[in-house]
Amino acid sequence: MDAYLVAILTTAAIYVILALALNMQFGLTGLMNFGVVGFYGLGAYSSGIMTETLGQPIVMGMLAAMIVGGTAGALVSLLSIRLSGDFLAIVTLGFAETMRLAFNNEDWLTRGPRGFLIMTRPVLEGLGRDATAWFILGVFLLVAAVVFVVFNRLAGSPFGRVLRSIREDDLVPATLGKNVLAYRLKAFVLGSSVMALAGSLYAHYVQTVTPDNFTTQVAVLVWMSLIVGGAGNMKGAVLGALVVTAIYEGTRFLAPLMEFLTPTQVSALRFIIIGTLLIVVVRFRPEGLLPERIVARPAARDPAPG
Amino acid sequence: MQLILNAIASAAVLAPAAIGFTLIFTLFRYTNFAAGALMTAGAFAAWQMNDLGLPIWLGGICAVAFASGLLMLSDRVVFEPLRGRSGGTLLLVSIALSVIIDNVIRFAYGTQIRAFDLPLRPPLTYAGLRFTPETLSVIGISVVATLAVGALLAFTRLGRALRAVADNPSLSSIRGLPVPRIEAAGILLAGALFGLSGTLAGLDLAIEPNLSWALTIPVIAAAIVGGLGSPLGAALGAVIIGLAEELTVAFISAPYKGAVGFVVIALVLLLRPQGLLGRAVERK
Amino acid sequence: MSVARIEVDGLSKVLGGVTVVNNVSFQVDPGQIMGLIGPNGAGKTTMFNLISGVLRPDAGKLRVNGRDVTGLPPYRLARHGIVRSFQLSRELDRLSVLDNVLLAAPSHPGETLGGALFRPFAVRRAETELTRTAREMLALVSLTPHESKPAGALSGGQKKLLELARALMAGADTILLDEIAAGVAPHLVEEIIAIVQKLNRDLGKTFLIIEHNVGFIRALTSRVVVMAAGELLAEGSFDHVSRNPAVIESYLGQAA
Repeated sequence: MDAYLVAILTTAAIYVILALALNMQFGLTGLMNFGVVGFYGLGAYSSGIMTETLGQPIVMGMLAAMIVGGTAGALVSLLSIRLSGDFLAIVTLGFAETMRLAFNNEDWLTRGPRGFLIMTRPVLEGLGRDATAWFILGVFLLVAAVVFVVFNRLAGSPFGRVLRSIREDDLVPATLGKNVLAYRLKAFVLGSSVMALAGSLYAHYVQTVTPDNFTTQVAVLVWMSLIVGGAGNMKGAVLGALVVTAIYEGTRFLAPLMEFLTPTQVSALRFIIIGTLLIVVVRFRPEGLLPERIVARPAARDPAPG
Repeated sequence: MQLILNAIASAAVLAPAAIGFTLIFTLFRYTNFAAGALMTAGAFAAWQMNDLGLPIWLGGICAVAFASGLLMLSDRVVFEPLRGRSGGTLLLVSIALSVIIDNVIRFAYGTQIRAFDLPLRPPLTYAGLRFTPETLSVIGISVVATLAVGALLAFTRLGRALRAVADNPSLSSIRGLPVPRIEAAGILLAGALFGLSGTLAGLDLAIEPNLSWALTIPVIAAAIVGGLGSPLGAALGAVIIGLAEELTVAFISAPYKGAVGFVVIALVLLLRPQGLLGRAVERK
Repeated sequence: MSVARIEVDGLSKVLGGVTVVNNVSFQVDPGQIMGLIGPNGAGKTTMFNLISGVLRPDAGKLRVNGRDVTGLPPYRLARHGIVRSFQLSRELDRLSVLDNVLLAAPSHPGETLGGALFRPFAVRRAETELTRTAREMLALVSLTPHESKPAGALSGGQKKLLELARALMAGADTILLDEIAAGVAPHLVEEIIAIVQKLNRDLGKTFLIIEHNVGFIRALTSRVVVMAAGELLAEGSFDHVSRNPAVIESYLGQAA
């Protein structure tokens, strides 16, 4: 039971990181990025290639992931940043799908559907199995905490204010002297490089990576985390990721209860529940569990009344 | 030449759904990502009827009716309460719906590939081209359906009413048009087209839950290339997408066929957002 | 002779097949309060859009402070010292009223990525300082009690006042006001007139004002430019142009 809890928390940490990254792009800046898994997968494979094929230490892998993810994010941005809402979603979805096909096809690089085996783990040598699991969890939680602190600070800063204003109306910030395209690019790249970082962590945790790990269904889970938790609010993103992971993992417990169903059916049922929940939340509580706070931040409140 | 024939066959499968997609877009101003799932639902409905002993053409009619009803149900339950929201929200919800429908199908039928109960006939050859009799039927049915829908939209009162409501719902309402009923008619028509495309896909390709994924993007691409808001454009767009896919298979590499639709969408949106025949339609 | 703040030189714009602005030329000198008037559909807001870079002209040149800025995007024009309000007020609905005004502050160190991450003290200092200024702006337009509310919750007239506060906060030399008095309570219109006059007198700010409110125009402007059907019809003091038969004709023709 204990080991299972550690596993769930480790997965939750990855989703927290992904949700925080998507929040930077969508929650703050209004960029509908449905290509989450494209960057996630790029990070996983880049890190794997760096450590396995090129024999570098894991930190280099994580770094490589972020650089590749950031660069890919920049390219996708430059191509599509002028597109609005739903069309940006479709194009980024296309990016993710193209990546998946590339992962499958370019198997000289990625070992394709056979799976890329990754031996390097983010642990110190010589720890026992339980200790290893806890150590990995610790590393993941540390990364998640760092991402949270950095992104939360950005969200509450004047930089975040500009991002939010772009989300609301891209003309007003422009007429006030803000380079809207540059801000969108930065927000997107911040998000995409962190998504790739999450991919790197994931790869070194599960140790076998196949293109089928990076499907749209994963993207749906990340989006769901944000919608349920509260887009625009970093704490909301964290909460949403925890809730969604709980629901997703929790529904695994359905399996023994419903022995008359095949594994395919149980898996299908889980996604039916997730999809329905997403629609229900969008309909009845679109701002999520922790809505974005509108009041001016404490740093700006000066002691003497104006 | 074989390439062109294959392209037209693909286009024939896509065209009705592309028209349906563009109808939904012009009426309600959002991209309905569940198009592919509805097509797959139609394909399975047709297959189920066929499996129970009905001939394929009857199964096809059932598919059309089923998909039509399913889209109507989806609209009432999911999309209508969210009418005022942004296009992005509606897209997100349509993706969720797509996941639900796909997984219901997977729940009911598993993941194995099925096919219609057809006598195995060898491919025909004519003027150096190879094709199956099914391909001919698919192309034929699609052409007839496309022309019929085109005629409906261009020449009948319903068609004019649909175009009026799509252009300006409030004005149409003031002028006395029964907007909700016209919208409902549009939904039923779009659903029917999805069902038809699904059946054609079942004839031409295979019937399995993954179908929706493979079909959604080409359908959306066809509608966007042709110009959102133009049914004729959607049909033309289908041909272009069919060609693009076949060219990719021929000159780049077959597995990337699925990416072509996206590339085309990106190019069109960047270079000529109104597509070939569309007007610049305002989106939410 | 000092360089004009804004020089519009033969600007033309075609929208949807219609020539909305047709070869219009005029200039706004430093320290002037100039009116841009004309019947509805004359192309006034389009002219504002051209001057602020929201639209690119199809022909002609735009100069700000003597430099050719034709075709620059809005954020670059803003940096040349031009700020504008919007006729249909565009509020950043989910930001607080205070944040709306703070956004207008030019060169805030916290708005860059590097600044936000690595210079917390400088950012905090700037934010405190600018918040004080922003509050002064809000007090000027009597919006202080609403400071923490989401801007979307304001009434139409209040949104106009927020537009003004934002434009003032930007600290630009040249301020374009598009029907700033529309929908605002009369006593506040008086206040706006006083604010504009004060800024013009004490700080030398230049204004270009679109307005239908005759009293507003007469009280504030030293010179007006009349547009009708995309063309420049007349130029001169308000009293002068209001006697111009062509001008009267264009307004009457519109009222009919």
